[in-house]
Amino acid sequence: MAQVSLRNLGKSFGGTMAVEAFDLDIADGEFLVLLGPSGCGKSTTLRMVAGLESNSTGEIWIKDKRMDHEEPKNRGVAMVFQNYALYPHKTVFDNMAMALKLQKVPKDEIEKKVRDVAEMIGLSDFLERKPATLSGGQRQRVAIGRAIVRTPDVFLFDEPLSNLDAKLRVKMRMDLQQLHARLGVTSIYVTHDQVEAMTLADRIVIMEGGVIAQVGTPREVYDEPANAFVAGFIGSPAMNFIKLNRAEKGWRSEGALELPELNHFDLGSASTVTLGVRPEHIEVLPPETPADAWTYDAEVMLAELLGADALLNLSVKGEELLVRVNGTEYPDGGEKIKIRLAPERQHAFDISNGTAFPRRA
Amino acid sequence: MERRAGKGTYITVVISVVISFFPIVWLILTSLKNTAGIYSWPPQYWPDPFTLENYIYIFTETPELLRYVVNSFIVGVGCTALTLTAGGMAGYALARLRLRFSTGLMLMILSVSMFPPIALLPSLFQSFVNLGFLNSYLGLIVAHTGLFLPYAVFMLASYFATLPVEIEEAAQIDGMGFLQIFTSIVAPLSWPGFVATGLIIFIFSWNEFPLALVLMTQDAMRTAPVGISLYPGEFAFPWETISTATVIAIIPILVITAIFQKQILGGLTAGTGK
Repeated sequence: MAQVSLRNLGKSFGGTMAVEAFDLDIADGEFLVLLGPSGCGKSTTLRMVAGLESNSTGEIWIKDKRMDHEEPKNRGVAMVFQNYALYPHKTVFDNMAMALKLQKVPKDEIEKKVRDVAEMIGLSDFLERKPATLSGGQRQRVAIGRAIVRTPDVFLFDEPLSNLDAKLRVKMRMDLQQLHARLGVTSIYVTHDQVEAMTLADRIVIMEGGVIAQVGTPREVYDEPANAFVAGFIGSPAMNFIKLNRAEKGWRSEGALELPELNHFDLGSASTVTLGVRPEHIEVLPPETPADAWTYDAEVMLAELLGADALLNLSVKGEELLVRVNGTEYPDGGEKIKIRLAPERQHAFDISNGTAFPRRA
Repeated sequence: MERRAGKGTYITVVISVVISFFPIVWLILTSLKNTAGIYSWPPQYWPDPFTLENYIYIFTETPELLRYVVNSFIVGVGCTALTLTAGGMAGYALARLRLRFSTGLMLMILSVSMFPPIALLPSLFQSFVNLGFLNSYLGLIVAHTGLFLPYAVFMLASYFATLPVEIEEAAQIDGMGFLQIFTSIVAPLSWPGFVATGLIIFIFSWNEFPLALVLMTQDAMRTAPVGISLYPGEFAFPWETISTATVIAIIPILVITAIFQKQILGGLTAGTGK
């Protein structure tokens, strides 16, 4: 089965590099998600693998064959687009059968294959319909079916769920997970939605400005972000960042927040550092809790109930922090509370380039 | 938001309709009068007596007028078919192939249509004489195609640009070649654009005068506008025959336009809004 290998892949559009030095090996059967904000080069990367864009530098290998000069149809890839991209004037059956027809597969074989796949994804009753008569979810199902029928070496997904409404998106996401578990085909999936990325991916590639910011499992990119960009991009609401300068004893923020020595990080000789703490990792303590080096007095500026959770906007010595707490019982705006920034939940980044400082063992 | 048209809007619309329709209405009324009615003073507004004798006369006594209409039809259909084929392919290439100088090419194509056709006539006439293209349908079809191709390229290219490119990309991954994508995906999806463009080209060709006048010198090969305009004899000006022939000549256009009016509007405004 397939293994995709991207070596020093790059793409320039009229002098500006959309993707640069993209190096990655994708294991057989892996579900890889390319995640990043719009314009980060994730779609361009996918389109280069598909052959819809030529690559300016580097090589694309699929199943130990160099593919970057091959036509899209010869690469063994099938693609699912955000806007479905079905042939509007052809029936569902003909949409799904098109690739096989073009490969001159015998008619009865096509018939059997299309019907099997339609059965699998629940489209058997719609084979004679035109795409315009189907709902958005059904259309995307047809697009996925069209990809499956080809039995490709690699599935390519370009934001396939972005056009669907929230409820359907969750359902289709689960369907995609089951489908992947069942077919085990190597998949590359582009999205800007971190929930999709976290739930679907074996590994996530987070891209920023055309380069890879970090590659890792969902756990890794959440727990150990490689830099401030990844730390701020993964997690919702985003991580709190506090700029700190070295003080006589410990560290001091631009406001008046004072912190003890950050000995749990290997900071080298840095005299400034960005400290990061996720909203869900700041503890709100009962007032009678004894203070330690990491507890602070805070005032609730605003409390917002989201349902299961609530968000508290805190002011801590002139610094603003966002905290996520349980939604059943939480302090109101104006209340004074105590919080704790647990050192094992902290992240520290180099201010100049955003790189995470390593944690001391 | 729903806006109701005010009185001023209605008046403007009515005035424009009257201005553009009056000549046609007058033409039709004239074709239904007898000779005395046409020359009577004060002018007759409503034909009195109302008569179909002009039509009967044309169909029975002057077969050459019908011949002109048939000639126009042959040239118009041929020109439309050729223009849509060439214009469709050129337009698709300009819209989708990332050609390096596509903007420049488009401007060059458009600049061709800026030449007044009359300025091209002497050289065109000489070339057609040399090629033996005078008085041939093919000759005038080619001349009209050259004249109107820029409009077709421009209109079709803007229509193709409105199609979602992912459909073509999906076809590419499915294994279709560029030409196959055009013929089996893009062309069927663009038929409103083709209908609108085709009709406009047909009307252009139908009404075109200078080239048709110069390149078709034999009476039997003349197109409707040329034939009708040359119909007046040396001493008399037969208004009743001319108006009747003109009505007959515009009927095919009116019928086609009425049938396809939806596509014309849709095709002309494609890409101007979501």
